[in-house]
Amino acid sequence: MLSLRSVNGHDAVFFEDLEIGREFTSPGRTVTEADIVIFAGLSGDYNVLHTDAEHMKSSIFGERIAHGLLGLGIQQGLAARGEPAAAHGLLAGLKWKFKGPIKIGDTVHVRSRITAKRDGPDTARGLVTVERRLLNQRGEVVQEGETEHVVERRKP
Amino acid sequence: MSGPSASPALCYFEDVEREVLLETPGLTLTSAHVSLFTGVTADPVLRDPDAVPDLLPLCLSSGLGWRVPRPPLAVLAFMGFEWRFHVPLKVGDTIHSVSLTVAKRSMREGGVIIEERRIVNQRGESVQSGRLTLLVERRPPS
Repeated sequence: MLSLRSVNGHDAVFFEDLEIGREFTSPGRTVTEADIVIFAGLSGDYNVLHTDAEHMKSSIFGERIAHGLLGLGIQQGLAARGEPAAAHGLLAGLKWKFKGPIKIGDTVHVRSRITAKRDGPDTARGLVTVERRLLNQRGEVVQEGETEHVVERRKP
Repeated sequence: MSGPSASPALCYFEDVEREVLLETPGLTLTSAHVSLFTGVTADPVLRDPDAVPDLLPLCLSSGLGWRVPRPPLAVLAFMGFEWRFHVPLKVGDTIHSVSLTVAKRSMREGGVIIEERRIVNQRGESVQSGRLTLLVERRPPS
């Protein structure tokens, strides 16, 4: 996954193909109440922030907001539709900031950029760092961070 | 305070104890978890049908964190985290999470806590781990 997601097909890119500075933009996605309900059920995180509309009326957000990790998951899915698919990509690490709320009906998309490449855990693979931002329909950054991927090198 | 918002027990900033290990019960990862997660996130379906998406265990650990001998944390906002992936998980693996508050900082709006969390599999291996930063509510005046 860079999505650097793992594929074996002929359209997979390798470590050598990924250039520092390259940028990607994903399609948009509207976050719905159903997304939040499903995520609460799946994760078991029923915090009132995400599940109690009445309680949230008097909060600083004024309404329920999406789980931060739901936003991150949606970001991951969107990025996969904007970034190249890397050969046997594995996520190695993540640094992430939740900057603002995602509310029901907000439409988010991902902008990402390859910022660094270095040697990986062995000679067959390298590490690629990608900077990612999740933006809403007003262009506000709601989440941002850095993902690190293990990507296979082309066989000599 | 009146009506339905008379709150059940919550763990407020003042109640959080540093360096106390909280261990959750276990949860067996099933293909139903994987399907629901890939359905809602549209994280690409992995080639191996038994593979577990990287972010799923972390998401499950947030709910597991409610099942510890402490009331749910009064989280106002999840501010950020750093996370490492050590071992890939498969459907059928059983995970639990172990966490520890390592720092507390008082803020005007509440308090920030730094939590170290590890996800552990059935063999006791640390499969993912990192640090989470959470903004937690202060105990309301009674």
